[in-house]
Amino acid sequence: MFSGKEKIIPILAICVLLIGIFSTFYVNATNINKDTISIDGKEFSINQLFLMCKNRSIYTDDGEKTGIALDDLIFKVGINCPSCHEYIIKAKDNYQQTLSWNILKTGVLTEYCRVYFPETAHTFWVRNVIEIKVK
Amino acid sequence: MDKKKIFTGILLFGSLWGFSECVIGSALSDSGLPSGAIMTGFFALTYLVISRILYKQPGMQIGMGVIAGTLRLFNPFVGCHLCSAIAIMAEGIIFEILWYKISFDLKELKTITMQVSMGVLTSYIVFVGGFIVTQILTPIISGPGFYLENLIVILPNIFSNGLLPALIGGITLPVIVLVKNIDFSLKDRLYYPVTIGVSILCWFVVISSWIFIRF
Repeated sequence: MFSGKEKIIPILAICVLLIGIFSTFYVNATNINKDTISIDGKEFSINQLFLMCKNRSIYTDDGEKTGIALDDLIFKVGINCPSCHEYIIKAKDNYQQTLSWNILKTGVLTEYCRVYFPETAHTFWVRNVIEIKVK
Repeated sequence: MDKKKIFTGILLFGSLWGFSECVIGSALSDSGLPSGAIMTGFFALTYLVISRILYKQPGMQIGMGVIAGTLRLFNPFVGCHLCSAIAIMAEGIIFEILWYKISFDLKELKTITMQVSMGVLTSYIVFVGGFIVTQILTPIISGPGFYLENLIVILPNIFSNGLLPALIGGITLPVIVLVKNIDFSLKDRLYYPVTIGVSILCWFVVISSWIFIRF
């Protein structure tokens, strides 16, 4: 004779497995594959950005990181009043983080399209950046 | 059970969990293996269930999560210290809630179906729950602030990432149940020296590595 727990636990286990499987399909289907980075709606290749902007090295708890200075990048793409906005940094796999100007201006974008900031938790170090949206 | 004995049990299993996250987790991550999934589906689940079987004390796994999370904050190796510490603490709490209605002698988990199902369910919910909690609390605690839209867009990724720990948990729990009858008990005169000694060793290795790398 099955009790309540003996019925519900296997059903819930199947449900979570199905959620995991369907989410995996969804994530793979919605991954964005592109080689450019969109900044405030304009597309740039990483090489273009490295030619346009000045380089900076920052020190993080994971060592020294060198890349394009994000504050210079924002100035160079022509954003007016950078401190008046927030910035959403999006990755290929849809991961995103929202940052204020005060944090963004301390960061770098590396040649591997990853952003680093010296004073934030690693959760803000977005990999495979495909867009920096100005909010 | 003696409160002192329970406290040292929390210290021992919490330290082992934290040590595994710091040392083994980092090594797995460096080798390109899915460290988060293995840590939750195998290591965390093993420590949480074994401590529950041995001590039969409600609330103990929350304490273990706090100890392990605190040790993770001292981790000198790769990875996000704060995010992982918060996730580990959340995992202890979520496990406690999930297993609240499961008896300490695991009489509900007699059949292999129940063992596999509970392993899958526990690992998935503990992993996904810990991930969501850390995505909310890390931005709040570290300063930049929490944005709901950032969480919503990555929910499919989090649900997807939970699949591997769920599958590992589905294998781990039946193995734990299989070996649960092995007598792990220590003689009273050995209990405190062994539990405290192993805990100190875990903290010593992690903190001395942190000091060595920083200075």
